Amino acid sequence: MTTFLEIRDLTMRFGGLMAVDHLSFTVEHGQIHGLIGPNGAGKTTTFNMISGFYKPTSGQVLLRGEDISGLKTHEVARRGVVRTFQHSTLFAELTVLENALVGTHMPFRPNIFAAIVGWDKEDRIGAEARAREALEFFGLDHLAGERAGDLSHGHQRALGMAVAYASHPDVVLLDEPFTGMNPEETRRMMGLMRNLRDSGITILLVEHDMQAIMGLCDTITCMSFGKFLAEGGPKEIRNHPAVIEAYLGGARHVA
Amino acid sequence: MLRAGIWILALAAFLALPHGLSFSQQEILVFLVINILLVASYRLLTLTGEWSLGHVVIMGVGAYASALYTKELGIAVPLSMLLGGLTAALVAVVLSFPLFRMKGFYFLIGSFAAGEIIRLLWKRFREPFGGAKGIKGIDPMPDFSVGFYRFDFFEPVSYYYFAGIVVGVCLWVLWRIEKSPVGLTFHAVHWQDKLAEASGVNLRAYRTLAFAIASGFAGISGALLAHYVGTINPNSFDVEVMVFVLTWAIVGGTATFYGPILGCIALTVLNEIVLRELGFEQMRPLIYGAILIASILFLPDGLESLVQKLLRRKAAPAKERVAE
Amino acid sequence: MLDLLAQTGLNAVYAASYISLVAVGLVLIFGVMGVLNFAHGELFMAGAYAVVALYADAHLPFFVAVAAGLVFVGLLGLLMERALFRPLKDNPLGGLVASIGFLMILQSLAVMGFGVRMEHIPPVTQQVIEFSEKVRLPVARLYVIVAAVVLLTALWYFLKRTRFGWALRASAQDPEAAALQGISITQTARIAMFIGAALAGVAGALTAPLVSVNPHMGHSVIVTAFIVIIVGGVGSLEGAVIASVVYAVVHTFVTTFFDGVIADITGLSLMLLVLIVKPTGLFGSRERA
Repeated sequence: MTTFLEIRDLTMRFGGLMAVDHLSFTVEHGQIHGLIGPNGAGKTTTFNMISGFYKPTSGQVLLRGEDISGLKTHEVARRGVVRTFQHSTLFAELTVLENALVGTHMPFRPNIFAAIVGWDKEDRIGAEARAREALEFFGLDHLAGERAGDLSHGHQRALGMAVAYASHPDVVLLDEPFTGMNPEETRRMMGLMRNLRDSGITILLVEHDMQAIMGLCDTITCMSFGKFLAEGGPKEIRNHPAVIEAYLGGARHVA
Repeated sequence: MLRAGIWILALAAFLALPHGLSFSQQEILVFLVINILLVASYRLLTLTGEWSLGHVVIMGVGAYASALYTKELGIAVPLSMLLGGLTAALVAVVLSFPLFRMKGFYFLIGSFAAGEIIRLLWKRFREPFGGAKGIKGIDPMPDFSVGFYRFDFFEPVSYYYFAGIVVGVCLWVLWRIEKSPVGLTFHAVHWQDKLAEASGVNLRAYRTLAFAIASGFAGISGALLAHYVGTINPNSFDVEVMVFVLTWAIVGGTATFYGPILGCIALTVLNEIVLRELGFEQMRPLIYGAILIASILFLPDGLESLVQKLLRRKAAPAKERVAE
Repeated sequence: MLDLLAQTGLNAVYAASYISLVAVGLVLIFGVMGVLNFAHGELFMAGAYAVVALYADAHLPFFVAVAAGLVFVGLLGLLMERALFRPLKDNPLGGLVASIGFLMILQSLAVMGFGVRMEHIPPVTQQVIEFSEKVRLPVARLYVIVAAVVLLTALWYFLKRTRFGWALRASAQDPEAAALQGISITQTARIAMFIGAALAGVAGALTAPLVSVNPHMGHSVIVTAFIVIIVGGVGSLEGAVIASVVYAVVHTFVTTFFDGVIADITGLSLMLLVLIVKPTGLFGSRERA
């Protein structure tokens, strides 16, 4: 059986700087997998390469054995790997429901001719049902008519995930989902992610909040200065000497 | 019920409008209808966030193409109009390859340059474009009868009805597109292209789609113009006309479907009725320039924002009553 | 053949001179104000009409008319800064659109004041420098070349050596940091607008006796200036000068050996090519939205 998601020898060089240096790890299907490391370790760069925002200098990203590195973002997304963004990147001018509807772009691909003539009624009904389902999943259904830009910070984050969820992804890449959240919001968000995993979606997340990472992840990969450092369950990682040293070296970055 | 009433009223107004107007005012009405399609198609392009300065030249592509199809190939006028629109859309698709490597400010300049190149090509190649003098004696729309009404295209009223129907159908299509999932995707591409991309939207394809559709309808409006006035040349589609389109869009506002149309109607009424009657015809560019500046400075959201305020004020008490 | 090359080269030097005056002004305004000034070609036209009014009609000495044109167009620049660009400083597209409005106003004022016909301006001097029988440089063209060299050198000195110049460059690079260092944004904006506009005005005034002056002459000027600043890299003054020379050489030679329209198409294609391959321009590195 082929591995679900494999990162193999992934390398990114910006001019003379090795941002990511021959990084390899695998993500198991149905797990919550954390990617951690001190600031500047190259987590976000790795993330951007997996999601197609950057084209790696060398190396591969294999999804079920297929190399998806170097594909454009929308092509990666169409293979089932969907990312969210740091901060509150949303369609602020559109309503919450419309945001989720954009998320249904892949399962219900719009057809312009059908749309003009009106033969896409079923698709529109299906897309709206899926969008409402996604909103409900993240507890946003009562806000469907609000302008996305007017939502609270926590709700905006949840909406970001709902947009991703609406597209029926296999893998969701979450970029620092807990940043700027209070403990209560963090706790609720962790619950949402477990639900997401239990519905069969694999999660790969980059995060600074150690507490959340340790309480949430099934497997954690730690990197430092662009290189693979250690991998294991939360307990192993917490007690791993190399990890402790890497974080002590940059202790002020530990959240 | 109320809706149907409004539509019937609008239809009656459309039919009754030209009667009681002078010949030259009826001609203006024809241009107004054509310009409404031009500015409405421009709005579709702005949905994806790109402002082009080549839209009027694209309209010219439709005009030239349709004129040449009838003149050189002997294609019937209504069909050649459609083909003219198609040609404009095709030219837009070709142009999209260089132009969509640029965004924002660079796209603006790039579209301007592309438009100028097309105009220079018309000027340079007397065969088949007629050079600086352009094409003369373009076939008019052939007269026909639909039983209860006889279209006699020597009369502006007939052409007004004909163009009105064509433009009405085009506007309906534009409206359907905007309100469809495709239209939503255009908005998504505009507001957050990164997130749209991550949701599986092919940005390039959607930008090109919007550009091609907008250009196709601009091309049809150009063809409508060509077969009405009978003569076109490179200067019929110069920057000055582009500025008019820009002014209509900005004065009306581009946040709603009706905004640019409102701007076009308001300025045409001002221009043709007020200015002409007062004998300020010569000052038209000056007044357009002043209006453009004034609306950017003092009414940045356009006339449509006034309409929205008015509607909201009316709607608000109604809502409260429901709440009780 | 050698004569033809030499003559075409001289023509190119003349073209490069007035083009670079216009383009450098446009880049200066874009750099400091963040606005693409579509009315720049009409500022050039306004300078030319100053010469029509003062030299051809009022019979003042030519250089007095040119100086008056410089000041007049500089003041137009100040007017644009105050009336348009300052209120719209957070809206670059708005500034651009407003400058299009200003363009139309200037154009129709010219039509109303002088009519649409071409103006006849009596030659300033009939003198010609003859390098050989076939290589000749009219002295009127020499004036333009000398003026461009002197003014651009002066501008270069001003930008590199004076406090104002330093402030101007600082606020072009990073307006917020400049404001923190106590540089008055309004003051630098005024200076940039005055200089930028005045350069276009003086170019228009000097070339007025050599070209056909009419209310719509600004169009080809602005198209040329766009090509040059895109090729040179938006925001790079040196790039604008170099690109002016490149463009003038290409355009003059293509005009000589083919025709003017082909030359225009070549120029625009060159610009599209640069936009496609390297949108920051051949000599620019900064990017401004």
